[in-house]
Amino acid sequence: MIIDHKVPERLQFQLDQKTLDESVTKAKLALLNDIKRSVYLYRCDLGGCNGCEIEIFASITPVFDVERFGIKNTPSPRHADIMVYTGAVTRAMRMPGIRAYEGAPDPKLIVAYGACGCTGGIFHDNYCVWGGADKLFPVDVYIPGCPPSPAQTIYGFAMALGLLGQKLHHTDIVEEPGVQAPLAYEDIPYKVRVTLERDARLYSGYCYGADLSDEFMKTIEAGSTNVMASVNELIARQQDPRKAEVFSKLRDDLVKMTVSSEQEAKDLKNALELIVASNRNVAAAQAAGELPNGSSEKLAATLQIPDELKAGIAGQAVESEGK
Amino acid sequence: MLKTIKEIFRTGDATVKYPFAPIERPPYARGKPEHDVAACIACAACAVACPPNAIQMKVDPKGGTITWSINYGRCVFCGRCEEVCPTKAIKLSEEFELAVMDKNDLEETCTYPLQRCSECGTYFASAKEVDYAVRILRQGEDDDEKQRAAASATICPKCKQKADAYRAKRRSALMGVQQ
Repeated sequence: MIIDHKVPERLQFQLDQKTLDESVTKAKLALLNDIKRSVYLYRCDLGGCNGCEIEIFASITPVFDVERFGIKNTPSPRHADIMVYTGAVTRAMRMPGIRAYEGAPDPKLIVAYGACGCTGGIFHDNYCVWGGADKLFPVDVYIPGCPPSPAQTIYGFAMALGLLGQKLHHTDIVEEPGVQAPLAYEDIPYKVRVTLERDARLYSGYCYGADLSDEFMKTIEAGSTNVMASVNELIARQQDPRKAEVFSKLRDDLVKMTVSSEQEAKDLKNALELIVASNRNVAAAQAAGELPNGSSEKLAATLQIPDELKAGIAGQAVESEGK
Repeated sequence: MLKTIKEIFRTGDATVKYPFAPIERPPYARGKPEHDVAACIACAACAVACPPNAIQMKVDPKGGTITWSINYGRCVFCGRCEEVCPTKAIKLSEEFELAVMDKNDLEETCTYPLQRCSECGTYFASAKEVDYAVRILRQGEDDDEKQRAAASATICPKCKQKADAYRAKRRSALMGVQQ
């Protein structure tokens, strides 16, 4: 959970990061402020999975068409104004990356593309990964995403060219003690809530299942007077047969958990039969002198039979003995 | 020629207007994970589930705080955090414009207070998490065991272990007396 590399810094290999001269920095700022020409883009893969490349080429298709902003893909770093670094920087690809950087004329914009290009992404703690293009080069724009969609790519390039502003900013929030997290669906018993959510996730996947169980429980809460009617109405309303099926399965769960009057009567009858049978055995045992008197009351107490039933049991026991 | 022009008019313009107009996002498109500070109980389920460790938890045992942090630069937008969150405090939103000029802007942190053990006074869990668990345990259940668990929720695992050991010792002593 908490990844802390405890290796001291003097034992780690230190990459010599490329730094910019003052004149180059000035020229770059001028370029960033006011580009009045098409920019050529060179894409350099430093050990990625090619997902980012696919998305870059998706963004030069007619649908997204970054070439309308004058951004053109070039096959050589010698013509490049923007260097796009994709992939977690691996040990083997460090030198080719530096060669491409040196090959491009100054001033150039460096874009770290994708989760791997920004920070190393999912490969950040791999043995052969330096983790991010910013370990080697002075990066101007970070475009996160795994891979960034064409829209994200266009946004990043537009930001690099000064067309759009940055939206995301660093935030540090400190919460005061004594704040309570809200409890969802407080009116529904905990066991019912958990069963519904677990079953919905079992039927239709973890993410969508949670959404469906949310919808179901909202319906239950809303229909406080007649829950079953509102649940039936929810099922009837569904256009998607899959959703309707999941909801009807959840309704079955609900019926099973909330004992209806018929079910209750059936359960009581079963319990009664069991008790009568055991009572008969007890009576037989008492007659044979194996058990002391009054043990049938004790048995009833341990079985937790409601008072109004006891009379009925006694009556039935008498009847059965009479037979 | 005329035929070609006709065809051009028929097909129309395929290019989207983005970035000059908002782009249409399909439902369930996975964008930036939005963190609801109020609903989060700092239980670290998301940090455990996160495949690239974009979400991390850091405990400060002296200051009595636990810090949740996310690095959007490392996030792979898999949605595992959304799946495992018990309070649905984290949700993948439609927001996708995440590019930044400064790497520091990719990070977001949120600090929560820790709960002190009512016996020994050390910090042992997020205060919000303990409070949430107690409220769930107390909710309409008259199960004796659950009520006892709710009553002893503010005791740290070490103290619970110690109490159990003392109880076992007392019990064995009583048994010895009886024998």
